[in-house]
Amino acid sequence: MKWMKFLLGISLFWGTVCGVKAEETTEPAFEPRKTIFEHLGDEYGWNMGRWHLPLPVIVTDAAGQWHVFSSARLLEQQEYEGFFIASEGEYEGKVVCRDASGALYRPWDFSITKNVLALFICVLVLCWLVFPLKTWYKKKPYEAPRKVRGIMEYGISMLYQDLIVPVLGKDARRFAPYLLTLFFFILVMNLLGLIVIFPGGANLAGNLAITFVLALCTFVVVNFSGRKAYWKDIFWPDVPTWLKCPVPMMPVIELFGVFTKPMALMIRLFANMLGGHLITLVLISLIFIFAAMGPVVTGGATVVAVFFAVFMGCIDLLICFIQAYVFMLLSAIFISLARPEEEQESKKLSE
Amino acid sequence: MGLFKPEIGLVFWMLVAFLIILFILAKYAWPVIIQSIEQRAEFIDKGVRYTREAQQRLEEVDQKVQEILAEAHQKQLLSLQETERMKKEMVEKAKQEAAGEVKKMLEEAKISVERMKRDAEGQLKQQVSRLSLEIAEKVLRKDLAQDTAQMELVGKMLEELETKS
Repeated sequence: MKWMKFLLGISLFWGTVCGVKAEETTEPAFEPRKTIFEHLGDEYGWNMGRWHLPLPVIVTDAAGQWHVFSSARLLEQQEYEGFFIASEGEYEGKVVCRDASGALYRPWDFSITKNVLALFICVLVLCWLVFPLKTWYKKKPYEAPRKVRGIMEYGISMLYQDLIVPVLGKDARRFAPYLLTLFFFILVMNLLGLIVIFPGGANLAGNLAITFVLALCTFVVVNFSGRKAYWKDIFWPDVPTWLKCPVPMMPVIELFGVFTKPMALMIRLFANMLGGHLITLVLISLIFIFAAMGPVVTGGATVVAVFFAVFMGCIDLLICFIQAYVFMLLSAIFISLARPEEEQESKKLSE
Repeated sequence: MGLFKPEIGLVFWMLVAFLIILFILAKYAWPVIIQSIEQRAEFIDKGVRYTREAQQRLEEVDQKVQEILAEAHQKQLLSLQETERMKKEMVEKAKQEAAGEVKKMLEEAKISVERMKRDAEGQLKQQVSRLSLEIAEKVLRKDLAQDTAQMELVGKMLEELETKS
């Protein structure tokens, strides 16, 4: 209790000092909207306070010429080889270029941005999680692994035996690699996103590009593994003929459903993870918004905001797991729906 | 807003990263791990089943041993009783035999004593008759020229004495 009070006092004091500082200096006013979206979005190079980790910018100009240079060359509105980061307009925060007539255009941009680097870190973390377990099994096939390997084994067997096998049955072996990769990739992305400092902190799963690719993969897997019955159900479902013959109403609806399923997956993961980051950022921004109202208000706001941010962090931790789980579960269900049992089908027909 | 527009570069890199990790893990890691987990689960199941069977068998054996023990105990008890009975019987028999022997010996002894007594009596009688004859001879030396009648008389009298005693 004593040290908690002490901590509270310190934070209040710190808050007031910051408040006073904010009043004294004439820095540009705090823009919560801009800051929040900067944090949620992507950036060239990894900024952490004053520290900047330069990353390669890879772009092609209108002539198809490749340009590779460090993101440090674009810092503070610098221009390099005609490329610069737009500070406003449609391409705000992106690398743009001027063509011969002087009009702005966006080049093909394959830069290793913050998100891409975070993605690679994710891949490495995933390898670090999975491969030790594999070597363990190779070395000691009948012993229980410990520590991180133990956690991984528990997670894998939970997912595989309690979820993938009951849902997919005989096909479990075939689709388990995809589903497990999906789950652990999303989980690692989400959890790394919760860590504020360097290796984490990128808003990966809250980026539509990432969830789009994941949903695309599920879409491809589902439709490429679909059996005859699945396609028959889409183009010639068991409904009265007038619903499908002159005007293909049901087929259109079914076909639409094929695309909405992965779309829903994409939007769900994106919105949940974005929401989590957004709430935390907004709560922390409150401190800076209240900074203009004097020391006492700032101190109070700090305590309340940090308390709620920690609370949201706990919930986020749960959401990280749940979203990865749901994405995998629904993918498994979609796959199993696309592969109805052949025997049951033939039985139905014979009846 | 930029957030809702998927960036082509990020899509590209994500696709590359995800497909690579998917390929690597699906080829080198997941099958091995899943197989190992299943194998171990099977191994453990087998072990449990085996243990249960072994335990059951052990119990059966234990029961059998108990039965055998009980039987042996019963037998032991029976044989003990038997021995006890036989012992008693033998002792009894021996006693009886001994008693018979003793009786026979006693009788024999009695008979021999009797005989010896009679012998002794006979000898004594002869001795006495001879002595009395001698005494009488000495007393009646002269008168007894023909002493057969006297001898007869003395013998008769001795006979009488004996029957009296």
